[in-house]
Amino acid sequence: MRYYEILYIVNPNFERKKLDETMKEIDNRLTKTKSKIINHIIWGKKKLAYPMQGHKYGTYILVHYQGGNKDKLYEFDSWLKLSDLVIRHMIVRIEKEPDVLEKVDNESPVEDKEDLKSGKDEGLGDVKEKISEEKKDEETEGVE
Amino acid sequence: MAFQTRRKYCFFKENNITEIDYKDVKLLNRFINDNGKIMPRRVTGTSAKMHRKVVSAIKRARTIGLMPFIDSGSE
Repeated sequence: MRYYEILYIVNPNFERKKLDETMKEIDNRLTKTKSKIINHIIWGKKKLAYPMQGHKYGTYILVHYQGGNKDKLYEFDSWLKLSDLVIRHMIVRIEKEPDVLEKVDNESPVEDKEDLKSGKDEGLGDVKEKISEEKKDEETEGVE
Repeated sequence: MAFQTRRKYCFFKENNITEIDYKDVKLLNRFINDNGKIMPRRVTGTSAKMHRKVVSAIKRARTIGLMPFIDSGSE
């Protein structure tokens, strides 16, 4: 069985209740394809790199699952594309079995990942400066 | 001369990274220029194998709105 990952963006103005409903709906649809859901977590509200359907921000939600019925998964994909609940989605196949992630109940931007893989920075000096500038921008935007 | 010779190295080899996740925007930001274009291998010094992975990861990140297609800077 193959493992897949969906990252989808929903309207950032959705309230908690509506967000839960959306996730439940997607859960139901996925379960109908005989897929086994491993993770379904809210990744956080982020600024989009470019506006989509008039939105500048979006709430990212991450799903990991083990694929079930192939034909039904195609149907699920096209349903996601047509659905008004989701602004955009992307399904990606992953090679390894994903780890079970803890459910973090926050809608604030996830900044933990920023610290990962900071590693060695010599060499691409100007690039590094640019990144830090962008990071500052993100931080200030998060405040408002 | 204005340019200093810099030692080129594969970032991933130095840091023992074998897989690139398209969600790791901070890492991928190293490989794009100010306009959001993917920098060539001759500039970044990345190995051919890893460069291919970087490219596909950046393209995925662009699709889902994590990275810009064009970053004009005036927002």
